[in-house]
Amino acid sequence: MSEFVDIKKDFPIFNREINSKKLTYLDSGATAQKPQIVIDAMNNVYTNTNANVHRGTYVLSAETTQLYEDVRKKCKKFLNAYSSDEIIFTKGATEGFNFLANSISKKYLKPGDEILLTEIEHHANIIPWQMVAKQYDLQIKYIKIDENFSIDLDDLKEKISTKTKVVSITGESNLSGLLPDIKLISTLVKENSDALFILDGAQLVPHRKVDVQALGIDFILFSGHKLLGPTGIGIVWGRLDLLNELEPVSGGGDMIEEVYYDRATWAPVPHKFEAGTPPYVEAIGLGAAIDYLENITMEKVSQHSDTLRKYAQGIFSDIDRVNVIHTNEEFAGCTFSMYVDQIHATDISLMLDTYGVAVRAGHHCVQPFHRKLGIDATFRATGYIYNDENDLDVFKDALLSSIEMLG
Amino acid sequence: MAIDQKVQDYKKMLDLFPNAQEKYQYLIEQAKDNTNFPEELRNDNFKVSGCQSQVWLIPEEKDEKVYFMSDSDALIAKGLVTLIASIYSDETPEDIINSEIDLMEEFELGVILSPARRNGAFNMLKLIKDYAVKLKKA
Repeated sequence: MSEFVDIKKDFPIFNREINSKKLTYLDSGATAQKPQIVIDAMNNVYTNTNANVHRGTYVLSAETTQLYEDVRKKCKKFLNAYSSDEIIFTKGATEGFNFLANSISKKYLKPGDEILLTEIEHHANIIPWQMVAKQYDLQIKYIKIDENFSIDLDDLKEKISTKTKVVSITGESNLSGLLPDIKLISTLVKENSDALFILDGAQLVPHRKVDVQALGIDFILFSGHKLLGPTGIGIVWGRLDLLNELEPVSGGGDMIEEVYYDRATWAPVPHKFEAGTPPYVEAIGLGAAIDYLENITMEKVSQHSDTLRKYAQGIFSDIDRVNVIHTNEEFAGCTFSMYVDQIHATDISLMLDTYGVAVRAGHHCVQPFHRKLGIDATFRATGYIYNDENDLDVFKDALLSSIEMLG
Repeated sequence: MAIDQKVQDYKKMLDLFPNAQEKYQYLIEQAKDNTNFPEELRNDNFKVSGCQSQVWLIPEEKDEKVYFMSDSDALIAKGLVTLIASIYSDETPEDIINSEIDLMEEFELGVILSPARRNGAFNMLKLIKDYAVKLKKA
């Protein structure tokens, strides 16, 4: 824990008071707070080097392009990708899913082909597939989640077949903290089908070292803003041979090689997927966030998550009237969704806010699974590197007082 | 009592509470006192859209005046809709339509009246005016 004692000092937002109380931020599952070095990196671009990338033959443009392209290299190292050409910048994980769903369907899928998701996926990993399923007459199947909020592997084995062409699952549940055994699942998928395997890294990548080569996956995507970086930037990593075959789904500047009045040819991977002026300032901010995490090391980041999670499990295990949705697996993320008998989740979160405690209330973009559990809404506490045991104690005390007030 | 006057009275009342917690506590009390909403009308026809919780609002016309019944499955939202319903009840459709008072501005209720994208409170007010317009035409 020692490395993390003073970490809040790196994040200027923790100087704020909310309702005259110290801020207790437990909503990093929605977005993470930003360290000063990320803010400084973005300020530096606007203050000192700003110019559009890949275009100008002058110093500013060359400098900004260098900073921007360096982030691709950082991401390559961060994910242990084969090549930095495999790193595609997007606006975020949601745009990444929309790109993959459209591009993969167009290239590889035919009517009757099956897409396999799990019951616990984020809407961003459901809706783009529903949209292409309608367009290309595809079938979507959902792997069951068992009573431990874990993926039912028997159900996976039952549902996967040679008809399965895409398997897309979360690397870490934003509801229950579940960390599926990706290596095991990707092996099962490859043994039983020739499906492409996509990993939703939105919650996983901020907390765990991800080695795309070791996991045996074909694509992963994540957002910058959950990883201490800015909004408006995300990454899709894909195997180079696949990216070379896929067609772009957005056209415009920066993605072309030659343009004629009647046709155009595409720039090589990754640029063919990056139409228009990219969010280069945000990408550079993301690069600073990755530097910050790598400086701590992802190993220590995940150890911290495990420490917090165990502490939280201890103090949340037996609160009167509070039901906790959290996997019983040995390894899991520090994400706890909860509901209180007879009290609405928004009442709880409004009350917690009066104690300076920020948590998310609602369905957390996992509506079908809430429906399956028969719950309208939950409130969710998620921990990240700047949280400590004290934050969890403050949350628990505020929760007890809120329940008392709401009766 | 005129709508403006009722708003000013509630504003004075809310200003007495020094912090958000006590303001919410007051709304919770208002919610707990509001018990006359007919169970069978808790349906989608009378639901206010855009609220994080379920909120219902129903108009009734009596002697050319409008009265609102309200309910919610969340207590703080119910307190808020109870207060809004009481402000616009016992008024003519005309007075409701012509009222230009900005409740969001007048009541310092922090996050529950913030101009968020899914602003339930904004939709509650819009619905009240829409009902008033319909009743005036009818």
